[in-house]
Amino acid sequence: MISRCQQGDQGAFKELFDQYHKRVYRIAYGVVRQREDALDIVQEVFIKLFRTIKNFKGKSNFYTYLYRVAMNQAIDYSRKMRKAPFLSLDQEEGFQPADIADRRPDHLASQKQFEERVGRAMGSLPEDQRATLIFREIEGLSYQEIAEAMRCSVGTVMSRLHYGRMKLRESLKEEWKGRGEK
Amino acid sequence: MKNSCSSVSRLLDRYFDHEATKKERIFVERHLTRCSDCQERLNLMEGLRASLRKPVEEALEKETFPWVWEKIEREIRLGKRPSWRESLRSWLDMTPLLRRKVWIPAVVTAVIFILVTAPILFKKSPSYLERSVVEYVESQTYNVMVYESEKAKVTVIWLFEGPDEESSPS
Repeated sequence: MISRCQQGDQGAFKELFDQYHKRVYRIAYGVVRQREDALDIVQEVFIKLFRTIKNFKGKSNFYTYLYRVAMNQAIDYSRKMRKAPFLSLDQEEGFQPADIADRRPDHLASQKQFEERVGRAMGSLPEDQRATLIFREIEGLSYQEIAEAMRCSVGTVMSRLHYGRMKLRESLKEEWKGRGEK
Repeated sequence: MKNSCSSVSRLLDRYFDHEATKKERIFVERHLTRCSDCQERLNLMEGLRASLRKPVEEALEKETFPWVWEKIEREIRLGKRPSWRESLRSWLDMTPLLRRKVWIPAVVTAVIFILVTAPILFKKSPSYLERSVVEYVESQTYNVMVYESEKAKVTVIWLFEGPDEESSPS
């Protein structure tokens, strides 16, 4: 199928789209967390893929190549739009407990709010850690697959996951404790 | 954090991601039975994973991808050629994550190269093609030789007191 796509076969490219568009959407939504933006990214990824698939040399798995293109496009998109989909925790205007009283279980965030909070905390991470976490936590890729998609070593993947999670934990431990007590 | 927790710290990520070896798994599981802090950490990791994954899966379930393929197909039919930046990036197969790391040392190297080579390339070498005039005048008292350089505006005059004697230039 890939070689037919490389020869410009649009039918084969439609098959490729059907097979992979949901994976691309998950990556895109994981980065931008907005439906319309994620759809735009899916569209751009496949247009770009059609134009550049000739450059895929088959040295790696196609899906890791596609993940790289998708992550690349999603990061570019979020930079270009300057939407800052995840505000840093310091900039956040929404849920921000002002004092200890606000952290009582009855004031703590619901599951939805916690998800929102996690999304915002992700925005405060460096891009490489955020991308690694999205590959691992949302797509469930193995360390080896992430290393292939990000063109780095497995050790680097482990390090990025470790420090990314550590930062998220530090940002969210109060909310997490509150949820446990609720 | 206890000492034993710090030794488990890195392993806990691999354990959680099902990437630990059997030996490592046994080690972590033993530790977890007696360490509530690490158990809590593991629970939080699970909670974070669920909180990252759930909204994406929910959005995907509802998504119908309206007109996405049609738009892609239309763009393909228009057959726009990729911009030179797109082509270059695709050819180099670079990600934004890599781009920063690649370009910083590349730009620094290029700047250093230019700084080192520019003075050598553009150094003014002395020109031997300047127009100059040498005149020799014989007289009964002194013989005179005059050297004039047009560009540097230098004039050197020699006075010769006798036929075989030379005075220093003035």
